[in-house]
Amino acid sequence: MKTIPASAVGIGLRQPHYREVFEHKPELGFLEVHSENFFLDGGASMHALERARAAYPISLHGVGLSLGSADALAQAHLAKLKRLVDRVEPALVSEHLSWGSLGTRHFNDLLPMPNTREVLALLTERIDRVQSALKRSILVENVSAYIEFRDSDMTDTALLDELARRTGCAVLFDVNNLYVNAVNFGFDPVSRLADLRPEAVGEMHLAGHTAVDDCLIDTHGARVCSEVWALYQEACRRFGPKPTLIEWDTHIPALDVLLDEAAIAGSVARNTLEVSHA
Amino acid sequence: MPELLEIQRDLAVSLHELDATPIAGRWLMGDAALIDRRLAIYRANVAATAVKALVAAYPVVRQVVGEAFFDGLARAYQHVAPSTSGDMFDYGSAFAGFVAEFPHTQSLPYLADLARLEWAVHRAYGAEDAVDWDRQALAQVAPAQQPAIRLKWAAGTAIFDSNFPIVRVWSIHQTDFDGEFTVDWSVRECALVTREGFRVLVSALDAGDAAFTTSSLAGAALGASAQAALAAEPGFDLGRLLGRLMASNVICGFTINKDDD
Repeated sequence: MKTIPASAVGIGLRQPHYREVFEHKPELGFLEVHSENFFLDGGASMHALERARAAYPISLHGVGLSLGSADALAQAHLAKLKRLVDRVEPALVSEHLSWGSLGTRHFNDLLPMPNTREVLALLTERIDRVQSALKRSILVENVSAYIEFRDSDMTDTALLDELARRTGCAVLFDVNNLYVNAVNFGFDPVSRLADLRPEAVGEMHLAGHTAVDDCLIDTHGARVCSEVWALYQEACRRFGPKPTLIEWDTHIPALDVLLDEAAIAGSVARNTLEVSHA
Repeated sequence: MPELLEIQRDLAVSLHELDATPIAGRWLMGDAALIDRRLAIYRANVAATAVKALVAAYPVVRQVVGEAFFDGLARAYQHVAPSTSGDMFDYGSAFAGFVAEFPHTQSLPYLADLARLEWAVHRAYGAEDAVDWDRQALAQVAPAQQPAIRLKWAAGTAIFDSNFPIVRVWSIHQTDFDGEFTVDWSVRECALVTREGFRVLVSALDAGDAAFTTSSLAGAALGASAQAALAAEPGFDLGRLLGRLMASNVICGFTINKDDD
């Protein structure tokens, strides 16, 4: 298993870039893929993942486990994830602080939950179960949201920090998601960084979003905006260097654009750390 | 009932039904108009994800009906057959049946078969890779035991009989197709879907090969399958078919149960 150094910057590996990444092997600290795209028995996709794995440390990022579903944890889905984790031996395995299914219906989306004691207890138990099934610790990511619950009595960041304390999981801090929510719900994102202990943060995500009438939509379809770079800089100052990933999922541009974003992330992190150590 | 379960039930209704916003609204901040706009973002995301999965699984159906029509077809399908798995590769298994009944595609009677073929192609794409096996052992089976051989077919292999020239229709819509774009609609084809290496291939079988493959894929022994093939096509040539299937790793092993004859 390859490990990911704290200063590593990676990109989300998507199908349009397979050939170029495998042939030119750009200098990247790691590659992240969506776990569910590789739940297959074999074939071209699995072969591509094998090639990626031979050249880079891999992070498996799940979008379908639905940790926060009130009714049940999907055992079949967890079994597929376990099979993939055993096969790939990834450096990181992450999931989202969200729900997507209820009963037999799956929305295949990252839906938010109210941040309550009930949810904290449920997620503690779920993360424990996932970690013991996978026999390793996972990371859990804060999601972007367009609806806000009346009953929440904790912030996402405080909930994640508490989950990390209780379960030993790490926090995948998505800088763009915090920014999107700060705009959508009107709070100061910098103040939320204080909720997270630096040692609880295991990875950071950066992505672009899209502005519509009265809110920001987390499309992962644009460059990282200046406000998110500023928030990332602040996060680097507080948390120290953490493996950082550029995510891009819609209107996927040329690989060079992702590599350019990755280079910017690397220099923001380095400059911030040099200043704070000066 | 625990509160979270109640909240998720209400949200699930509001995400599935366009006019059900107030049901979830009691849990959310903001006025009804704001909540409605925000829930619409989630509804759009959910629909887009389902459409994207169907676009990936049914590219030829999409070419045939056009992108805009396909989008509507996919949304209509999603409403009656929403996703039940966190793994979107599973989504769309009932699409062919839906297309067969859909009122606005009845002018394209072959469309359901095309969807059925594309689903088989979709599954074959992710099927287990073929492993090498001892071909010599098959040649060394004593003649008296040969009828009892049961062939092992590579994962992802599928066959189905159509009333339409379905393989031809599928082929001319492939991006690398460079022949004449003509279809003889009087032809009926039996399609064989196979994985060769990482490529999924679709080929048309004649009546004898089709009868043999259908029987053998269903688990029948070589003798019974060959008889079925000869009944369908007196000129059936078992050696030629086996040679072709073994050369392309579609046959990847065999078993003999000594009790069979």
